[in-house]
Amino acid sequence: MKTNFLGLQLKNPVIVAAGPWNRDGEGIRRSIASGAGAVITETIVSEPVLDAMPRIAYNGLGAQNIRLYSDVQIEGWEQEIDIAKSKGGVIIASVSAHTPSELAYLAVKMEKYGADGIELGISTPMGGELELIASDSEKVYNMTRCVVENVKIPVMVKLSQNATNIPKVVKEIKRAGGSGVSAINSIRCILGVDIENRAPFLPTYGGYSGAPIKPLGLASVATLAQTVDIPICGIGGIESYQDALEYILLGASAVQVGTALMIHGRSRITEIVEGLERWGVENKVKDVKEIKGEALSKLKSFEEIKIAPLYCQSKSISCTDGCNKCIEGCMYGAIQRKDVNDIIVNKNLCTGCGLCTFLCEPKKLFLDW
Amino acid sequence: MNIKEIARKANVSVATVSRVLNHPENVAPKTKERVLGIINELGYKPNWFARGLNFNKTNTIGLLIPNILNPAYVEIAKGAEDVANRKGYTTLLCITEGEVKKERKYIQTLIDRRIDGVILVSSLLEDEDVKEMKKQGIAVVLIGENKGNSKEPIVRIDCYAAAFMAVNHLLECGHTQIAMIYGRVPEMENKNKIEGYEQALLEAGILKNEDYLIKEENTIEGGYVAARKLLGLWKMPRAIFTTSDLLAFGVIDAIRDADLTIPDEIAVMGFDNIRMSNLMEPKLTTVALPLHRMGLSGARLLLDVIESKNDGEMMAMREIVLQSKLKIRKSCGHKERISEIF
Repeated sequence: MKTNFLGLQLKNPVIVAAGPWNRDGEGIRRSIASGAGAVITETIVSEPVLDAMPRIAYNGLGAQNIRLYSDVQIEGWEQEIDIAKSKGGVIIASVSAHTPSELAYLAVKMEKYGADGIELGISTPMGGELELIASDSEKVYNMTRCVVENVKIPVMVKLSQNATNIPKVVKEIKRAGGSGVSAINSIRCILGVDIENRAPFLPTYGGYSGAPIKPLGLASVATLAQTVDIPICGIGGIESYQDALEYILLGASAVQVGTALMIHGRSRITEIVEGLERWGVENKVKDVKEIKGEALSKLKSFEEIKIAPLYCQSKSISCTDGCNKCIEGCMYGAIQRKDVNDIIVNKNLCTGCGLCTFLCEPKKLFLDW
Repeated sequence: MNIKEIARKANVSVATVSRVLNHPENVAPKTKERVLGIINELGYKPNWFARGLNFNKTNTIGLLIPNILNPAYVEIAKGAEDVANRKGYTTLLCITEGEVKKERKYIQTLIDRRIDGVILVSSLLEDEDVKEMKKQGIAVVLIGENKGNSKEPIVRIDCYAAAFMAVNHLLECGHTQIAMIYGRVPEMENKNKIEGYEQALLEAGILKNEDYLIKEENTIEGGYVAARKLLGLWKMPRAIFTTSDLLAFGVIDAIRDADLTIPDEIAVMGFDNIRMSNLMEPKLTTVALPLHRMGLSGARLLLDVIESKNDGEMMAMREIVLQSKLKIRKSCGHKERISEIF
């Protein structure tokens, strides 16, 4: 399933996100070999600093990282990009800096070294400042503008869920000449606290990523898609081809995968790419643009939602042995056990909230007139 | 031992040996290997001075800093040397003591040695001096403001905004009697810092007190002397903003000698964020300059100028403005811990 993103023709919409897995030419080459449509370098900064140790924590659902930047100096990327592109592939350089000119300098260098596009990292959730650059639309404009004026390759800006004003920010990015946006960056977090030691798992705030942030990413992408006409790359908790399709249906032209690769390895990229391909063949979809944003028309304002008298009904499927989730989860007390294999719904008490249909694993319950 | 003998022994032309030395990428790997083997065997070393004459390039750059006892300049130097070294350049370090005469003398020496370019840190040279250097084919890059208004490639921070931010922080901490101690050097930057200081006070509606603005040598001792003067005033300031961490260290020393406590009785704000400022007691709140990064960026711009001269390419970026940041620690009485973390 091909796509056109940032004016780049990609063989599929799966892009390997910026991260340590793309820390050098060899890593990027391997990411390309896994079948991705494009690969983004680990974020390049003008002054690599020593990484904290440890810097990644994981709770089985999501991961916290603190500052994952490239430890390769700018000059070193000339050779790394050469190695990365030795067997072809589309490479986007992720760059991060604090001022427009510093950012533009990095972008200019990466363009010279052969990058096909630039991603501006202005929304890192840690270090830096309490208030993100990404939430200051004027700063974002100045940074994007300065980069766009100095390079010929397309420039996309990575946005953050921590910024509450992304519609305003994305308009400024478009006005500045940005070719696209990617959303969302990891979210400022503290993954957890070790109760025994009375200390957080990691010694400072970090970025939360992985499956739990997918709903936030989806909401941001849908918001961006309905704000301005600008290509969007969906990021956040993509672990399967279905996840990728969800982002596409809400308006993304491409998606990025990072944490899933970190936890499961590059084979996950291949699985997602192949899954999309298969789905495309089965559904006769050859290009992302054929389905992009199709779910947006079903996204309504509250007043547009038709209030229909729905209530819970059950199919003649057996209950899971010993499961009482729907009964315990019914806030209105409408569900009772009929026998070991079945339940009974009191229509007078059921308010059609729908929660039980998600709690029921065998999908026995559904809403209807 | 010379290049002709190498050529004879390797059974190649002199031009091939020259290519092995200067453009090895254009030589067949086998030939390159054989020639390099003979060069090693005979212990041949190219004459760098003669090379410089021939290629008009010595792969040497000069770095002029005002003071080597100020760790801020050492950090800048480390950054510049780091990039230069990685690109095959040698850096000559020159200490100007903030004296334009000494700076000019160094420039002449560097020109005579046919260096490829210079980085001037907080230079006191005039436009004319820079023009002369460029006439001699020397690439020039500035770090920090210089005295002239020359349009040379530059790495700088906004000193006015940085000082404004620092003084505003002192105001936010509740201080109103805020003094400023500034160093004799760097002249241009400190001029901008004074403007930032005065503007912040003006906007807060605080009347200017001439006694609160003191110029001293930019050293720990200078800070000590200036602080003793301030502490002796009948209306002593309750906060002191300095234009360097070195000055702040001297100020802290003087405050201790006067048996006053920081920040309860008097607050101290530094400038630079040299590494030691984190080790002082109390830890120094200061304006963090990306010193090492200023050095890295300066050398990168300089090598861009040198290389663009060779390739005849246009340089895309001629000015890099880096961000300074308030590094809130313990010396100004700020209470919100969250601001120290970010």
